[in-house]
Order: sequence, then C-alpha cells, then structure tokens
Amino acid sequence: MSETAVEARETRKVYGQGAAAVTALGGVSLAIRKGEFFTLLGPSGCGKTTLLKLIAGFESPTAGQILLHGSDITFDPPNTRPVNTVFQSYALFPHLTVAENIGFGPKMQGRPKAEIAETVKRMLALVRMEQMADRKPGQLSGGQQQRVALARALAPAPKVLLLDEPLSALDLKLRKEMQIELKRLQVETGITFIFVTHDQEEALTMSDRIGVMQAGRLLQVGDPRAIYTRPANRFVASFIGESNFLHGTLRGNEMTLDAGPVLPVEKGDNAPAAGPVTAAIRPEQIRIAAGGGIPAKVRDTVYFGTDTHCVATLSDGTEITVRLQSPVSGDVGLHPGSDVHLRFEPGALIVLPEET
Amino acid sequence: MSAPDDPKARDEARRGWLLSAPALVLLVVGASGPLLIMLVYSFLEPGQYGNVEWALSFKAWFNVVMTRDIFDGTLGFADAHLTIFWRSAKLALLTTLFAFLVGFPTAWFIATRSPGARTAFLFLITIPFWTNLLIRTFAINQIIRNEGFLNTFLLWTGIIDAPIVMLYTDFAVFVGMTYVYLPLMVLPLFAAIDRFDMRLLQAGYDLYASRWQLLRHVIVPVVKPGIIAGSILVFIPALGAYVTPRILGGGRNMMIGNFIELQFGQGRNWPLGAALSVVLLVVVTIALIVYTRFAAGSQDKSHG
Ligand SMILES: Nc1ncnc2c1ncn2[C@@H]1O[C@H](COP(=O)(O)OP(=O)(O)O)[C@@H](O)[C@H]1O
Ligand SMILES: [Mg+2]
Repeated sequence: MSETAVEARETRKVYGQGAAAVTALGGVSLAIRKGEFFTLLGPSGCGKTTLLKLIAGFESPTAGQILLHGSDITFDPPNTRPVNTVFQSYALFPHLTVAENIGFGPKMQGRPKAEIAETVKRMLALVRMEQMADRKPGQLSGGQQQRVALARALAPAPKVLLLDEPLSALDLKLRKEMQIELKRLQVETGITFIFVTHDQEEALTMSDRIGVMQAGRLLQVGDPRAIYTRPANRFVASFIGESNFLHGTLRGNEMTLDAGPVLPVEKGDNAPAAGPVTAAIRPEQIRIAAGGGIPAKVRDTVYFGTDTHCVATLSDGTEITVRLQSPVSGDVGLHPGSDVHLRFEPGALIVLPEET
Repeated sequence: MSAPDDPKARDEARRGWLLSAPALVLLVVGASGPLLIMLVYSFLEPGQYGNVEWALSFKAWFNVVMTRDIFDGTLGFADAHLTIFWRSAKLALLTTLFAFLVGFPTAWFIATRSPGARTAFLFLITIPFWTNLLIRTFAINQIIRNEGFLNTFLLWTGIIDAPIVMLYTDFAVFVGMTYVYLPLMVLPLFAAIDRFDMRLLQAGYDLYASRWQLLRHVIVPVVKPGIIAGSILVFIPALGAYVTPRILGGGRNMMIGNFIELQFGQGRNWPLGAALSVVLLVVVTIALIVYTRFAAGSQDKSHG
C-alpha cells in the first residue's frame, strides 16, 4: 500500500489540433501524498486548472497516466471517481436549498435517507452553516456560498478534494478567514487537498507542500520553506516573494560579481560548477552597513509602513532592493545619492541553474 | 425603497402612474372589452340572421350542457359538446407534450452551439412565421392526403399497397398543430437553456450523478420556467385552434374553435358561441392555475 494519494505520470494535455493546438501540460510527473495539503501555484494560464480537470476526470490526458491510491483512473468518468471539486464559481445548484445542495452527492451515490440526513447535519456543523440550511444559494453571501460549496464537496467523503482558486472571488478579509477555515477543515477531515492558486502568499501560509508551475511545466516541488529559501530557478525566485538577481562568474564557492566584489555563495539545485552564473538574494536578507560587503549608491527609498524599501545601485548599474524594518521615526535616514555598503549572511546568496 | 410618507416619493409614484395611464387604458379596454361583450352576448337572445336581440335569456347557457332533439323534441345531455371539448383538450395536451419532446432537444442543441451557429439556427426556427399559416397548413394537407407525397412515395416503394388515410383524422390535426406550434415551445426553452449555467453539469457529474440523473435533478428543475412558458404558449392556442383542425381535420373532427365559429356563422347562434367562448376561457384559466401551482409545488416537494 502506497502513501501516494494522486500520481501523475508524464501527463501531457494538448487542446485542439494542428495549428490551433495548445499544449496546456507538457509531461508533468507528480506524486501527492495521502492527507497532505498540496498547492499548485503558478501564474494564470500555466495549466493548473487543466491538471485538476485531469484528476477530476473532466478531461483526459493526451498522453500519460493519472493514478488514485495506486490504481489507474486515467479514463474513468468523473462520476465514478472518489474525487470531488470545489469550483471557482462555486456552481451551487440554484434550485436546491443549502441542505439539499450538500446532500446531492450522497443522494446520487444512493445512500439511505437517514444517512444522508446525518451527513448533511454533520457537514453543516463542520462549515458552521446550521442556521442557513433552508436557504437557497441566491440568498447567501459569497463567503457563505463558499462554505456550502466546501461542505457539498466534502459530504460524499472523497479520497481527494480539488479546490480551483476557491478564494479568488472573496475580498481580502474574508479570504484570510477562509484560509484558516480551509486549513482547519483539512486537518479535521484528514482528506488530501489539492489546492490551486496564483497567490504565492496563500500558497506559503496554507500548504504542506507546493508545486510551482509555469507554462505547462512543474518547476519545483517542496515545502514552503524550501521553495522560498532555495528556489530552483529564476522564475520561482521571482514569482514566490521578491528576489534580487546578481550576475557574475562562479569559481568554487565564491562568485566574482560583474560589479567587482567577490562573495561567498550557496549553490542551489542543478547549479553549474563554474563559469558565468546568476545568483538570487531576498531583499530582507540584506543589511545596510557602514563598511565591507558590496559598495552601492542609494537611488530611492519607499515607505511601506512596517517596512521601508531602499533601492540601491551597484557600480555596474544593477539595482538591488533592500527591505528594512521601519524605525520609530519612520525615517531610515538614507538619502538618494548617499554611499552605503550591502552585507548579508553567507548562504543567503543562491546560485541558480543556467536558464534553458 | 422610500418611506410611504415621503411626499416627494409619493409625487413621483403618482407621476409614474399618470405616465403609464394611456397604456393601461388601452390594455384594460383592449383585454377586458371583448371579454365583457362576450359575457353580455351570452345572456341575450339570438337574432334571426345572426347578431343578437337585446332580451335577457339563459337559453345559450342552457344549451351549452343540454340539447333538444331535433326529431322528437326531448331534452338530452349535450354530449356532442363534451366530445368536442374532450377532443380539443386531448389534442392540445398531446400537441404540447410532443412539442416539448421534440422542442427540448432542439432548444438544447441550439443553445449549445457557437454564437454564430446559434443565431443561424434561431433564424431558421423563425422562418415558418414568414409564410401564412393557411398556406403552411395546406402544404401539410398536400403531404398527407391520400394522393399526397407521403402516400405516393410509400406506394412507390411498395411498403404499402393502399394509401394510408391520414387526412381528416385526429392524427392529421395533431401533426399539423405540433408543426405549427413547435417554434413557440423552442423559443422559451432556448431562452431558459441559454441562461442555464453549464458548470452545474460539471458539478453534478463530479458529485456522482449519471447523465439521466443530471437531466432529472439539475437540468429540468433549473430550466423549469422555460418549460412552463413554452407549454402555456403551445397549449392555449392549440386548445382554441381553428385553421389547422379546419383544414386537416375536415368537418367531422371539429375542435372547440371550429364549433364556436360555427355558431357565429352558419349556426346563427351568437349567444351560444359567446357562452362556449366563456367556458373555454374559464377552462383555460383553471388549467393554467392548476398547472403552474403543480409545476411550482412539485419543485419544492420533490427534494424535501
Ligand atoms: N478547453 C480548452 N481549449 C483550448 N485551450 C484551453 C482549454 N482550456 C485551457 N486551455 C489553454 O490551456 C492553457 C492552460 O489553461 P488552464 O489550465 O486553465 O490554466 P490556469 O488554470 O493555470 O490558469 C491556457 O493557455 C489555456 O488557454
Ligand atoms: Mg484556472
């Protein structure tokens, strides 16, 4: 018995044919563990929804396989897969009450009436919607509809729950609440969640593991810390959080910047052994010091409340953003044109693999 | 909403009424005027050469249910009227049902095409309206009569060796009415299906529904307003149909519309025609109330 809930093997999906063909997924392999909160993160159009559709059964792959708990379900129709979806549009049945919406899945599965009633009650309590049981979806707010959609998808007790950008229609405050709520539901039910988002903060705060996608490819899979601190390439480094990129020549564990200074570096996965390279460093990892490090000239400072961003220019023109905690006075005391030195801990500067 | 004691809002409301007054007057006079005339006429004496004599009489209403035998003068139940009513109701119901069975897949097909194709199909649906109803009905007559295209073809292929009698039967009336009223079913159904969110199908399919269950538990309940509208639009004119039963049903297979016309024409009994019209109106109204109640109610109950 494997520990894998869902596995995609070299899954390709091409929409259309001939000149109009769009490759939505280009050979994605991925194993999602049982009971984990897995997030697919990537910009719009990168193929996240397509991958979910392949797992739910709404589309079948052009090539490759989809496995659920070890068995091949590649061509099974959606109504036979123990997988449920929370749709971005919620897609609640407008003619049914909240309770009937939640009971729809178990009813279609042919469960006995008493069991359905019991399930509905339990689900209503789980999403805290007991008071709304007899309302129609049209009488609910966005957040309430969201909860009903969740309860409806959880009611048939699926092995895997798919969530396609379920929070994107909510306003910021409600979204934060629902993030916590979702995480709670996942822990309480123990069901494997596959969550899709293009919001990196959402992905970092909620997930056990994240899969970063771009243009139909899976770039990196790892826990939030690993994705953030050791991005696999330039795209991941800039899509998740912010990064500064420095160019130079690598020799051993030292890098000679094009701007002059020689710095100790950490090698990321698949980084080249030597030669011209790009390295990334997070704005919050850099300190401003009186001496040592890399000499730079302040170009501008931007006040963000808790943070102040300082943009400095190296001698070769490379711009570096430094994130400083704003002092009590609110003024970091850096003026455009003043000379500063940028320092950081060894290990903060990561050498990225060559772009292919 | 504004408070009722806000004078400005009240003025505005009054002005709104005044502005729509001409339309309202037209509607009231146009809709209830003829009905009122019918009601009054049904309580008058028939004139010798048609029209009415202004004398109060309940004979017409009596004649709706009772009839005097022309030979021995004995009173009897007017079962001919009941037969005609029953045939009309049966044919109208059958027509509505069949128009739905044909119209639903048609409307679904059109609503799920690309926007361009959809416009083209809707255009095709409306083409029959360009031709006069009489001419279209005669065309059907040409197809189904004994020496018509259909029988000629069937005889030629040898499938039959004597023409099938179709013209001047209830079947002919049913076919003709289904053909004539089908667009009235398709258009409201199309409007409802067009508004139907196809993502609901995905949601239902994801929640273990079979295709049949999707139709029964998701599609039909959601597009129900369109089904109700289409059924009403077909049933009412079908019940009172005149041209189609006249041309395809001949003299024997009269429907209520033809019978009423007979009273105003050859029968020279305007009060009886008026009384029958009122009966038809009442029957339709009751049928509509029962139908809409039933349709709305079944939705609430079936998922309770
Ligand atoms: N039904 C479809 N037909 C043609 N192209 C599609 C279809 N669905 C998605 N695509 C294309 O596939 C790519 C990936 O889409 P999608 O999986 O929806 O991305 P995401 O959910 O990450 O935004 C996009 O370029 C999109 O235009
Ligand atoms: Mg998407």
